[in-house]
Parts: sequence; C-alpha cells; structure tokens
Amino acid sequence: MLRKTIALSLLSASLIATNANAADKLIVSTWGGSFKDLIDKAIGQEFTKQTGVEVEYVTGGTIDRLNKAKLAGSAESDVTFTTSHVGWLYTNDGLFEKLDMSRIPNASHLVDQARLSPSHIGVWGYVYTIGYRPDMVPEGITFDSWNDLWSPELEGMIAFPDWDPSHIIAVSAKLSGTDAEHWEQGQDKLKALVPNIKAFYTNDANSQQLIATGETSVQLLLSMNAYHMMDEGVDIKLAMPKEGAVLGVDAMGINKGTEQADLAYQFMNIALSPEVQANIARINRGSPVVDNAKVDPEIAKLPGMLTTADQWGATLDTDARLRAEKTAEWRKWFSENIMAH
Amino acid sequence: MTQRPAFVPWFVLPSVLTALGLMVAMLTVLQYSIRAHIPGSLDVGGYTLDNFQDLYKSIYINAFVTTAWLSIKTAFFGLLLSYPLAYALVRTRSGWMKSTILIIAITPLFLGEVVRTYSWIIVLGNSGFINSALLAIGLIDKPLQLMFTQTGVVLALVHVTMPIMVLMLATGLSHIDPAYRRAATSLGAGPVRAFLTITLPLSLPGIVASLTTAFAWTFSAFATPQLIGGGKVSTVATLVYQLGFSSLNFPFAAALSIVGLILTVLLLAAFKWMTHSLQRVGAH
Repeated sequence: MLRKTIALSLLSASLIATNANAADKLIVSTWGGSFKDLIDKAIGQEFTKQTGVEVEYVTGGTIDRLNKAKLAGSAESDVTFTTSHVGWLYTNDGLFEKLDMSRIPNASHLVDQARLSPSHIGVWGYVYTIGYRPDMVPEGITFDSWNDLWSPELEGMIAFPDWDPSHIIAVSAKLSGTDAEHWEQGQDKLKALVPNIKAFYTNDANSQQLIATGETSVQLLLSMNAYHMMDEGVDIKLAMPKEGAVLGVDAMGINKGTEQADLAYQFMNIALSPEVQANIARINRGSPVVDNAKVDPEIAKLPGMLTTADQWGATLDTDARLRAEKTAEWRKWFSENIMAH
Repeated sequence: MTQRPAFVPWFVLPSVLTALGLMVAMLTVLQYSIRAHIPGSLDVGGYTLDNFQDLYKSIYINAFVTTAWLSIKTAFFGLLLSYPLAYALVRTRSGWMKSTILIIAITPLFLGEVVRTYSWIIVLGNSGFINSALLAIGLIDKPLQLMFTQTGVVLALVHVTMPIMVLMLATGLSHIDPAYRRAATSLGAGPVRAFLTITLPLSLPGIVASLTTAFAWTFSAFATPQLIGGGKVSTVATLVYQLGFSSLNFPFAAALSIVGLILTVLLLAAFKWMTHSLQRVGAH
C-alpha cells in the first residue's frame, strides 16, 4: 500500500513538473508588486498577443533571485529582469547567455547608457533623486543642489535605501570634486550627512510607507516609485539637483541554458519596441531606453523622465560594472561609518 | 519485552531528515565563513580566516550587545504581559472568556511577522495610534520618537513573541494540581500568598521555558528589527542581511552568523545554568 502511495505521488509530481516545463509558456523572473504589474501590462500581454504564448512570472528580490539562479545550476526561468549592476553579477558568474543582438532588432535604437554588457541590456531608465513631502519640510527649503541635503534644517529628516549606498556615495564624490571610482575622497562629505539621516528603508514598499506616513519627509527616492505614490494620492515632489540626478537602469537578460531562447529573444525585442517603451513611460514613468519611442509630451516633461540624449547625459551615471565590483566594499564601509552612527 | 510499533521509524524519519538538512546548511555556512570574498562575483575564493578579523570593530560588538539586550528585554516584558493572560486562560471557568483570551493570545500567530511589523509601523509612527492618543489627552506636546528606536523594536518584538509565551505558560500552569492551592487556602493562605507560595514556584519550569524560547527567538529576529529599527538598531541578523544579501559578501556574513550562533548557545547555556535551581523548585 505504502509503495503504491509513493509511486502515485512520484507520478503526480512528475506530471506537474512536466506541465511546468511545457513549451507553450515563457517564464520571466522579476520583482513583485508594481514592477511585475508593469512588465505584465506593458510587455507580457503584448508578447502573448503577438505570439500566443503565455508568460509566467516568478517574483522575488533582486539578490534572492540572483542566489536562486546561482544555486539552481540550471535555468528555472527564461528571461530575468534585474538591476544594471546585478546584471553584471549574472554575467560574471555565467548565469546569462551571451546575447545575439541580431535577434533583437529594436536594440539598435538603445541609448549608450542601456548597452550594459554582452549579456544584458537596459529595459527602462529612472533616476534616484531627492523626493520630499512639501508640507513637511522646513519652509523655504529648496533642493536645487544635492548640497541642500546637508542643510542643518534637515536634521533627522532624511531616509536612504539600506541595500545600496552607491547613489549617495556617487553624490558625495561628485560634490567633493571627483567621481564614484575615487569615492574615498567623498567619505568625509558623506560622514557630515549623518546628523540629517533619520532612517534607512529596506525595500520599495518600506520606502513608500515611510514617506506616505510622513515618518521620513525627505528621501533619496526612485523616481518611478515617487510617481507610483503620487498616483495613489500622496503629496510628493521630486527635485532635480543641478549636479544631476543619479541614473538607474533596469535590465534584462536570457538565462543560461534556457530551452526557450527563441521566445526569450522575441520577448526582449518586443520590450524594446517604441510602442512598448512609450507604454512603460505612460504606466509607471519609466524612461524609454530606445531613442525612437514617442512619449506623451505631458509625461516627457515630468522631472526624472529621460527622453533626450542631453537628459541622459546630464545624469550622474556610475558604471554598472564598477558598482558590481565595489558594492561589497561600499556597503561595508557604509554600515561601519554611516549606519552605525 | 515491549515490541516497538512498526510505524515509529516512519514517524521519526521526517525529523531525522530535517535535522540532517539543517546540519548540511550549517556546515555550508561554516565553510563559507572561511572562504575569501571575490568582489563582483558570487563565487568564493580560497580558505582564509580574514573574515573573522573585522568582527572586533565596535559596530559588530555593539550589534552583539544590542541583540542580547533586546532579547533579554523582550523576554522579560513578554513574560510580564503573557503570564497574567496565561493565568486567566487556565483559571477562568467561563468557556466564553477562555475562548476570548485564547483568540486574543494566538491571533497574532496567524499573521506573518512582516504583516505584524508593518502594522506596528503604523501604530508607532509620529502620527500613529500611540502618539495621536497621547497628544489627544495632552500627556505630550510633540510626538514621541518610537520608530527607529530600541523601545519601538522591543514593543513590536514583545507582540511577536507573546502568543508562544502565553501558550507555553498556560501549558505549565495547567499542569499544576489545583489540590495544592486548595490545601494552602484551607490552611489559611490568602489568594496572594497562595499564588506566591504555590502557583508561582510550581510554574517556574513554564516560565523558564518561555523565557528561553522568547530569548532565542528574538536573538534571531530579522523583519522586526529591520523594519522598525530602520537601520538605526543594528542586530546580528540585520547585519548578516546587510552584509550578505545587500553587499554580496557572503563569507563575511557567514563569519558573523557563526559568531552569532556561538554567542546564542553560550548565552542560553548561561541562562540554563542560572535557572537550574529555579527549575528544581518547580519540579512537582
């Protein structure tokens, strides 16, 4: 009896596994929440419309999914969305296929900042900049320059992301007359910011909650999240410091060993089509990474939207490969010298 | 001679497999702690003890002290709040009251730790329930800073640990033979004296067990210190996350985990040694 039960269980499990690997769907690894919704609405549904193939999403945090891909040993998804610098970790660890760009014709319009590596390319851009609650900051405060974050009037008011200090490290380096590669010269500047730091947020949801409740009225904020909250009715303003906002590019790559390479290439090509790129800008204010997308002018003029070469060029752009290599060093220094105080 | 039932090995098997899985995981962590970190890669390099060298820095020592202190405070305040609930749960004769107390006590278990913690962010915030209430009744003139402080973290952790403490204490209390208390009462002891001389000593094993569980649970708590602490209350678990998952420096995070584990075992051993005599008092 027991043997029959075990045999039946194994048979059922193998049938389920067979179905999960069926050839009529594309598995996409992505973040959850509004980013998964954006990918589904803007890219996934268009992909299904054009190919008749369903898209299945597996969601998780950036690093969790990287670890899973590393530990799995074989492709558990076909296409992966991640950040530009973590994309380099996939690339360095051989977790992405080398891209055959001739199979992604729309990629010929990619802006330079979205040509990331031989294995991953950008899918939308955004900026990390100063987001604030205008009704909760001291009167007269403006954020024309990143230096304004150091104002004594902002003592104990600012929040930063706790998982990636690269943005504020790049800003401190810039204000100290150098760049992220020579970030050590900006250490003293960054240490001087400690009195103004109230907290560090853990993820996008945590960031949104802290600024929506007014717990931290000034944040180093991802522009797409800011617009998402504005759509939800939270009174937030995005500042564009004269030194430039910090550029971020989210990326996509094809998982090594996928059996759905053809579909994966089609998916990526659709993602970079001008119509889909304009849709990404419309839905979540992600900046198009191709130069031929026609973005609604009302959206294009919003702070943080990058629709011209000049706007892309005016951002603080830290090389994604440098970020990947420096992340551990920056994060440890940040923990020991900024968060510990 | 008693015959061991044939199903016993099958019942034990899942536990053995789980223990083996945990052992393999711990050995992997141990192995990572003595490997070199390679910047820009998930792969690790050769064997080294360098990962342990930085642990003497004040940030890591402070994290160990903060974690131990948070665990002690959570266990203590958790006991203060859980004991009366557990006592009422066991003593009340009203079925309605028993159900109400049980629901209040264990409902938090049905919510995930993250959901509970997010709720506490709303309660503890500057415009949250506590500050709004205190401001409304005029006890304070500006909001108390509860978020991003140890006080806020302890409050939320007590809530997280209370359900399990109530259940453990109630189990301990329900095993006390009511005849002991009746005998004390019949010999002239008042309710307070009967409680202090009979119930409390006999419930010591339950108290020690619940304190130990709350302490160990809090020592490894992650979501609550991370979200309520907002990076301003560093514990061993939050540093392991920050250094391992954010920095991708898994070898250093593994070294921190190993030292944290050793410290937990030592503290629990010390606690067991200190409470050994108390447990003997409660043996009945």
